[in-house]
Amino acid sequence: MNKRLLINTWLCDGCGLCELVCAFSHTGLWHPALSRIKVLEDKKNGLFFPTTCAHCVNPPCANACLMNVIVKDPETGLTIRNESSCIGCRACEISCPFNVCLFDYVNEVVVNCDLCKGDPLCVKVCPTGAIEFVSVEETPERKRVAAASDRLLESAQR
Amino acid sequence: MYGYAGKILELDLSNRRVVFRELSPEFASQNIGGIGFNARILYDELKPGVDPLGEENILVFSAGALVGSPFPTAARTEASAKSPMTGTFGTSNSGMFFGTQLKNAGFDAVILKGKADKPVYILISDENVEILDAASLWGKDSWETIDILKARHRGVELALIGQAGENLIRFASLENGRYDGWGRTGLGAVMGSKNLKAVAVRGSRGIRPHDPAGLLAVTKKGQDLIKSSSSYIAFTEYGTMNATIPYGKFNALGNHNFSRGTLDGWKENFGKQVVDVFSDRHMACQSCIIACAHWVEITEGKYKGLKMKDMEITPMVAFGATLGLSTEAAIKGSELSQRYGVDMVSIAGVIAFATELYKNGIITREDLGYELEFGDDDTAFQLMKDIVERRGLGKILAEGTKRAAEHFDGAQKYAVHIKGLEIPMIDARGRWSTWTLGMLTNIRGGDHLRCRNPVENLRYNENNYDYTKERFGFKSHVYDYLDMPDNLKEEIIDMENDTVDIAKMSHWAEDLINLYNSVGICIRPPVMDRIGPTTLAEAYQVFTGIDMNPVEIMEGAERAWNLMKLFNLREGEDIKDLKFPRRFYEEAIGEKILDEAKVQQVLSNYFKARGWDPDSGRPKDETLSRLKI
Repeated sequence: MNKRLLINTWLCDGCGLCELVCAFSHTGLWHPALSRIKVLEDKKNGLFFPTTCAHCVNPPCANACLMNVIVKDPETGLTIRNESSCIGCRACEISCPFNVCLFDYVNEVVVNCDLCKGDPLCVKVCPTGAIEFVSVEETPERKRVAAASDRLLESAQR
Repeated sequence: MYGYAGKILELDLSNRRVVFRELSPEFASQNIGGIGFNARILYDELKPGVDPLGEENILVFSAGALVGSPFPTAARTEASAKSPMTGTFGTSNSGMFFGTQLKNAGFDAVILKGKADKPVYILISDENVEILDAASLWGKDSWETIDILKARHRGVELALIGQAGENLIRFASLENGRYDGWGRTGLGAVMGSKNLKAVAVRGSRGIRPHDPAGLLAVTKKGQDLIKSSSSYIAFTEYGTMNATIPYGKFNALGNHNFSRGTLDGWKENFGKQVVDVFSDRHMACQSCIIACAHWVEITEGKYKGLKMKDMEITPMVAFGATLGLSTEAAIKGSELSQRYGVDMVSIAGVIAFATELYKNGIITREDLGYELEFGDDDTAFQLMKDIVERRGLGKILAEGTKRAAEHFDGAQKYAVHIKGLEIPMIDARGRWSTWTLGMLTNIRGGDHLRCRNPVENLRYNENNYDYTKERFGFKSHVYDYLDMPDNLKEEIIDMENDTVDIAKMSHWAEDLINLYNSVGICIRPPVMDRIGPTTLAEAYQVFTGIDMNPVEIMEGAERAWNLMKLFNLREGEDIKDLKFPRRFYEEAIGEKILDEAKVQQVLSNYFKARGWDPDSGRPKDETLSRLKI
């Protein structure tokens, strides 16, 4: 599986359905703190930014982990955790440059997005298409095109 | 308990006593949640005849039963108390994220009693309930307070008041964070009278559904139903602004304090196309797939730089039509009302009332210090400030239109309210429909949000010949999609003559909306014309594990409506109070005027449909025993 979540932040309207079903499908509870995807909010500008694990090739969280709980799955390339060995020191949370390792304070372990075993539920429920599931190759390409068209639009307006 | 959080928090501010009540399955299934809980709690626990702004009034917040689930639009929380405006059941509904946090903190409802001896706010963080000092917040507007409290307590959702609530302006609102509010019936003044600035809540408990797979399935079903509605796409694009042009065309906007029909440039300034001028993105409440709200930015002119969630029909009509302001000024008006924490409909109504008094020489420049004119935003906002700060004439107007009218000779004919609550858009003279009858029968007074024909057809407006009927005018598939028992469909909708029986539809629509407010979903048209008791009973069952068939769940909603009616009757409401303002019967809009006898006839048909006495409007004993009250 060589697919990742692609987040089109400009489409997000902040309904929180992704958080809801994520927590739900992983824990059976609706509980915002248990969601592996977080919608950040810019209150003054009415903007929303869903954020989740990028599954870095060389993940800082894995390097920070004292217990070697975090490993890269050789087949899928995903950053996965052996949660039963997690001591809850939260070093990975601090080391994550995107702040998307999330501390599950019910079970006192840190968790990250596991892409729902290849069929992410957040993608299915997102009503606006802000979260897509696309191949690793496609993601940077799409981002470049989006950024370029923004720039083009800006220069056209100038 | 599944679905429900399982506890009700009771807090007495007078003696700082906190009680956790267990939510019993019987109480839950009898009253469902949201407004159903509030109706039961206030009916059982509030002594009749108390001063709405006194220590004895009770303010209740209840999250809907489905809140916390992914069911589409399940975000809504009902706040209720005895209203300082009407002296009867005061209630208001709001979405966003307050309810989900409340349930996550472990509470389905919060009951606030008593009065603190100095300004305080409450922090609910799971079972830790703290009463904290609010001296430094008192006097701050609601947005400043939100910024301070959100920085101080991470992740909280807030119900709070601005200066209006502190100053006991009778129509002060409760703000729900920065984006929404419990606007109507003056609940902010009730909170202010308790010396309470804010309720901050955050939760980390989580809600356990009875049947997770079933819940996801019914969520999907609900989403598909809403998406299949013919108004879905329109609502995702323009939200409630879709209706501004039709209501303008019907002469039903209540322009200039309901004194005139048409307004120049209404279509150009307030048609749905203006949304594209001011907004390029949408906002949603918890779990919503419609996202009708718009993020608005003003980029030029006097109000340049203003950014907020706005452009819904009610504030646009309140400031744009009732007061006749420009589009930008209408947005500014919503900002000011939110910051001060006043009900937009009532403040616009009161200012419009004062402006008409000024026009007719009943109040003068000497009384006021400045001139009032429809369409002048500077003086309108000056008067708003005077009202909120209770300065000069503002002190009288802060009591609301009904009370202020008693103060000035000859002012009665300009006072537009029902049961003391100012009327929002939709002038019943311009458009007689289920919706406008609903303003008379509304438990909370002159308001349009508790009775709405789920299949209202905005293409037609030709009912004035016969007050009992409204044109249906849809193809038969709309009729098929409607989630209503077949026998009722046949009784209410006459397919042959293409009409809807207004009295009977009002009964159904009020109960349906009461059901929505009990389970905590939204009354936007794409929801209303598709989702009804069948889907909701199913969602309720999979979420809470309590078996309830569509008839029983509807009965629960009807029970709550009757409880609220009994509450009102106990507070002295009389059938004579259910009247439109005099000018609706005496002054024509265009050529249209209301025929009082015909209105009374439909009203009495409505009482009959409800099983209430047609002459006195009191629920009959057999109706109450059928509803197990």
